[in-house]
Amino acid sequence: MSGLVDASATDFTAELVRRAIGDGAHAAQVTNVNLDRFEIDFSERKVDLLRSTANETTSLGVLRDGKRGSATLNGRDPDDIDGALRTALLAADAGLADPANAVAEASSLPPSRHGAEMADRDAMIATVLAYIRELSERYPLIRTRNSTYTFFVKDTSFANSLGVHQRQRRAWYQFGAMFSAKDGARATSFNYSGAASYVPFEQLLAVGTVGRLIEETLRSFDARPVSEKFIGDVILTPDCLFHLMFVFARALGGYEFLAGTSPYKEKRGETIASPLFSLLNRPLAEDFPEGADFDGFGIPTADLDIVKDGRLDNFLVDFYIARRLKLPQTAGVWNFVVPAGERSLDDIIAGTRRGIILSRFSGGRPNSNLDFSGVAKNSFYVEDGEIRHALTETMVTGSLQQLLKNIHAVSREQVNFGDHAYPYLAASGVTISAK
Amino acid sequence: MLDRLQDYARSFDGYTELRWHTNHAVRLVMRKGALLQNSQSREGGVSARCYRSGAFGFASRPGDTEEATKAALAEARANTALYERAVGPCPASLPQTAPGTGIYDYRSRRVPLSPSERTDLLRWLNDAIAQKYPGLLNTDLVLSSLAMEKALITSEGAATHSYIPRTVLLFGLSMQANDGPIELSDVAGGFGDLQDQCYDLEPLLERIDALYVALREKADGTHCEAGVHDVVLDPLVAGILAHEAIGHTCEADSVLTGSVAGDYIDQPVASEKITLGDYGGRGPDGKSDLPIHIDDEGTPCRDVTIIENGVLKGFLHNKDTARRLEAEPTGNARAFAFGDEPLVRMRNTAILPGVDRLDDMIAAVDRGYYLMRASNGQADWTSEFMFGITRGYEIRNGKLGRAIRDTTISGVAFDMLKTVTHVGDTLRWMEGAWCGKKQLIPVGMGGPALKCRITLGGQ
Repeated sequence: MSGLVDASATDFTAELVRRAIGDGAHAAQVTNVNLDRFEIDFSERKVDLLRSTANETTSLGVLRDGKRGSATLNGRDPDDIDGALRTALLAADAGLADPANAVAEASSLPPSRHGAEMADRDAMIATVLAYIRELSERYPLIRTRNSTYTFFVKDTSFANSLGVHQRQRRAWYQFGAMFSAKDGARATSFNYSGAASYVPFEQLLAVGTVGRLIEETLRSFDARPVSEKFIGDVILTPDCLFHLMFVFARALGGYEFLAGTSPYKEKRGETIASPLFSLLNRPLAEDFPEGADFDGFGIPTADLDIVKDGRLDNFLVDFYIARRLKLPQTAGVWNFVVPAGERSLDDIIAGTRRGIILSRFSGGRPNSNLDFSGVAKNSFYVEDGEIRHALTETMVTGSLQQLLKNIHAVSREQVNFGDHAYPYLAASGVTISAK
Repeated sequence: MLDRLQDYARSFDGYTELRWHTNHAVRLVMRKGALLQNSQSREGGVSARCYRSGAFGFASRPGDTEEATKAALAEARANTALYERAVGPCPASLPQTAPGTGIYDYRSRRVPLSPSERTDLLRWLNDAIAQKYPGLLNTDLVLSSLAMEKALITSEGAATHSYIPRTVLLFGLSMQANDGPIELSDVAGGFGDLQDQCYDLEPLLERIDALYVALREKADGTHCEAGVHDVVLDPLVAGILAHEAIGHTCEADSVLTGSVAGDYIDQPVASEKITLGDYGGRGPDGKSDLPIHIDDEGTPCRDVTIIENGVLKGFLHNKDTARRLEAEPTGNARAFAFGDEPLVRMRNTAILPGVDRLDDMIAAVDRGYYLMRASNGQADWTSEFMFGITRGYEIRNGKLGRAIRDTTISGVAFDMLKTVTHVGDTLRWMEGAWCGKKQLIPVGMGGPALKCRITLGGQ
């Protein structure tokens, strides 16, 4: 067992698979993740915390007679490893036979390494201190909380009993900022944003939409509701799409098909959105440090067009759902890109007769039909092509299905968050109301 | 484990916490009879946190070996040194509190459920639902338990060990309505390990029957009229309101970063019928599903009255916010996993019950809504809040009417609470509540029913 404790991650996963089979599993897969992190956490005008963490997590999945069981442990204590193997096998014995349960046959990729070997921690602190100074000087009314600048190293090894072996190491920098503005008794809503990159950020204010959102926050002191209920345009920002595209994608994913609740199950090949809209899955994008070379079943990822020019070309189906529902396996990892359009954001705003710029949707979880209803946070009222005022206590209601069909403009500006990339989208037909 | 940690106390240099922390979890997920997840996990390690020159250095390692513990301590110190190198030394100290001590081990003494018993519970339930209600579009069953086990020592002399288990069984049903699928879910469970729960089939099926009836009513239900309405909030919705709209606003780190609550201390912010607090132990009635006695900085958890008879009275603190606001730490520093640092977090947050009966509150509404279940919620540092509502009914002439479809409620909490005219006589806690703020963490949320005015979304 001491060999296991000292083994490389590749040998460790392979040996655990071998032991699972030796102990009675009919098939097995093991994923081992080593995650190291160095984080600088800061609030207000000072650094609060320097945090470095290390963890090694191993997930064992075993099959017996078509029944699945799994166990997760961290570290390499020999007793814990024995215990996890026993636990997974007992869980499988107690499981339910399902012909869709299996380990995947796939080609083994050469090990990959993405990103820096290590971070320059002193340089990261200097960047944070420069950001804090800049905030103080340029934006004295801005308050921040739990903003973090982090360097991650994630080393993932995979093996299964069909001889598939995968390994990828990804290292990246990530910045996340949370802020509001306060001027005496006047306060704005909080807002947040961030992004990830393979290379260190030179200037944190320039990360993603952080600088823009800070400027918008300072213009939000005198927020007020819309004056009346109306049906108008909505300009969805990249930060807003970050949330809404997951809602949309879930409806295209196999687990909603299994539930029978997706409105899109029978619509492959049909037009479901404006021809201006495409949704692409790009886990292999070179500028997505949080992409992936292989998925949780060890299957190499592939770039795939989900919606192309408004037409639903592919579903998001992982290995299990593909077997369960007899659909083509397409995507076990989601990293979305909505391609940029041709109009500038300023031009889109100028062409808006009446509507809102929706920067954050704070709402109840949209139902299976993708109807949504919620509060427009960090948002602005637009009339006759001009931004009039910041909004508070304003609700937006509509159908995401219909909204995608009603898209009439896509911005040429696009924001890369490090795992997804989105432009601004403008659509009509959303109900906007105040209390 | 506490004894082993004590061996390192001699090596502490300045303010230091040393925590061993393991989360034990079981999770089974069944959708339409397919067992999508059947897993058990144990994730633990040791962490150290030091304080020097006004900042913390934190480090963690998996396992509980001497090597891991020494490495965590050394790297936490190195992180404080790195900070001092960048900004220069600066004298700063945290407020000292009475060191929390004691063993709070709520581990079950019953025989654990076997893997087969867990699976059988879901299978029986699924089969019973499928047989009784064949027209359902989908059935989701999720059985999950989490026990957080911690041993903590600090340079101030705190020494404590705790094992806090909680278990939840979620059942969700979907059916096809005329205009698309609709869903409802409910949860059963609470404090204790899996084997402590009363998961007998008959009472569970009675709850599922009730959920099915509510689902049918919702399928035939109506959309709310958008606008401001008189409403009665069910205790479980009032509990989310207490947590999201008031509790977050009154966390001292939010106050430091601009929460409007900072401007309202000792001012009326609610009807004088409202008293709201964040409580240690298992809450004021001893019935929440989250016992907590000593926080992760070693401070004994004391009850905090946030609003007393409508007047804002206090905030939730860890040592650092208490230092900055010249207050007393309240025992609100909590960490979710061994690699997480303690943050200002709520514990058991609740509005205290009043004297009104639910029936009387509904009877007092001429035209409005009874809102029974919330899906998710968010609140702002301005106290503006939003919750999704998944279950409710119209109130017409003091009586319940048609069921309503999913909607959203919103408002500004410090305005909305002033509209409260009735406070129910029964405190109820939500089962299996969670909070997300950098880290997820289990919390308690509770309240009585409230009658108030609130903004509803509609079509």
